[in-house]
Amino acid sequence: MTVKCVIWDLDHTLLAGVYLESGAQPPPPDPAMVAAAAQLRDRGIIHAIASRNPPEAAQYAARATGLDFAAAECGWGRKSDAVRRIAADLGLAADAVAFVDDDLYERAEVSSAVPEALVLSPEDMTDAVGWPEFSPAVVTAEARRRGQMYAERRRRLEEARAFAGSPDEFLRYCRTEVTITPATSADAPRLRELSVRTHQFNTAGEAVPEPTLRELIGSPAHQVTVVRLSDRFGDDGVVGGCVVELGSGRARTVTLLMMSCRAMGRGVIQALLAWLARSAGQGGAVTLAIPCLVTHRNVPLRLALAAAGFRAEEQASLRDDTAGGSGGSPLRDDTAGGSGGSPPRDDTAGGSGGSPPRDNTPDPPVALFTRPVTGPPPELPGYVITEAGSEVTGP
Amino acid sequence: MTGGEVPEVIGELRQILARATGREDLLGLPAQTPLFGAGVGLDSLTGTLLLREVQRRFGVDVAGEDLNLDALATLGTLAAFIGERTDGGGHRPGSP
Repeated sequence: MTVKCVIWDLDHTLLAGVYLESGAQPPPPDPAMVAAAAQLRDRGIIHAIASRNPPEAAQYAARATGLDFAAAECGWGRKSDAVRRIAADLGLAADAVAFVDDDLYERAEVSSAVPEALVLSPEDMTDAVGWPEFSPAVVTAEARRRGQMYAERRRRLEEARAFAGSPDEFLRYCRTEVTITPATSADAPRLRELSVRTHQFNTAGEAVPEPTLRELIGSPAHQVTVVRLSDRFGDDGVVGGCVVELGSGRARTVTLLMMSCRAMGRGVIQALLAWLARSAGQGGAVTLAIPCLVTHRNVPLRLALAAAGFRAEEQASLRDDTAGGSGGSPLRDDTAGGSGGSPPRDDTAGGSGGSPPRDNTPDPPVALFTRPVTGPPPELPGYVITEAGSEVTGP
Repeated sequence: MTGGEVPEVIGELRQILARATGREDLLGLPAQTPLFGAGVGLDSLTGTLLLREVQRRFGVDVAGEDLNLDALATLGTLAAFIGERTDGGGHRPGSP
């Protein structure tokens, strides 16, 4: 699906500043964003605004940029709701809209609630005008599949809203199945794709080539695993994977853990972490270790690790590489860099559309998250199916 | 320490949490109840929404300052974490 409408945030995105904090003189438009928007307009792509500002801000933006906006949602609700309302108003499917915002949390919220939308940072946007998604002649096979999953997702969300029980009960009601199996070499292309396209749930943050994956899959010293997700609404296929170094010591190390953000909120990461801890304990390990990049993009993964009882050593793990000089925070904010985040682009990009080029900022710090795996193993949720095909029943 | 303001922060956090999870019953959540695990069951999705709202409302970047996210243990620990980094009224000292 090509993008038919770009929905813009205003503060620090379409405008070079914060509207409400600039007093009598509102901030000027951001020249790079206006240039990109004008290019897209010339290809027949329309624009809209979703902003946490009073409606006057949208009127100001229209005057200042010289662009026409087909819709504007100004208010303090969720941005994902604004995106959906705009798409509905314009009669567009959600996979025909792109959302541009400088705020990581807004992007995360929209990409999890509206996974079919293309979510971009302003840094991505200058590059993105060259992507197939913004070139109306190109229609990829992936786009057709996304449309199908959009319909499935919409039915699931409608029922989730009407559902009275807990999130766990909803997963059961949906007949959610998370299947965890050893990878075969046929899984290598999809695992490589996940290594490139996942950001919110990725411990390593680098592309792993297919030959490397095949080698790992065939190696007796490693355990490579794929995770599939399906429910009564549809089959999402392989949504995650991990590589475990078995070693001979008492610690098992997960050298790579990744999951598509499409699977967020559907019990997959919890299931995978519980399964990893169980199998490490059953394999005789004392500790399960997961080295993990610490960035602002994979905060959702850190939340999952915390929820699953993992901890990292603060001092030993954080390298001093605060190159930005922003001071204060010990954890580096990687959102300002040129590679600044296209988390929702898993499965959405066609060949040449690839990742934006990485900038030259230093690598973010790596922290070693560990948890003991002695004692009673964590329960697997009831919707997990493991390689033997035997359904493990929950409590 | 701004102990006097923490109860107000907790009240606001309850509302944020109830919105993030879509569960009104959490409006009565005790300040000492664990957020991770059974009960509240904070996960990647609801946790991300909670952190986003905390950053917007209080200007405190919990994930940027707390590697293990220990501040998310309970509403009480989160309110204390926020209180230590703001003047109590929800504004970060020295921020614009």
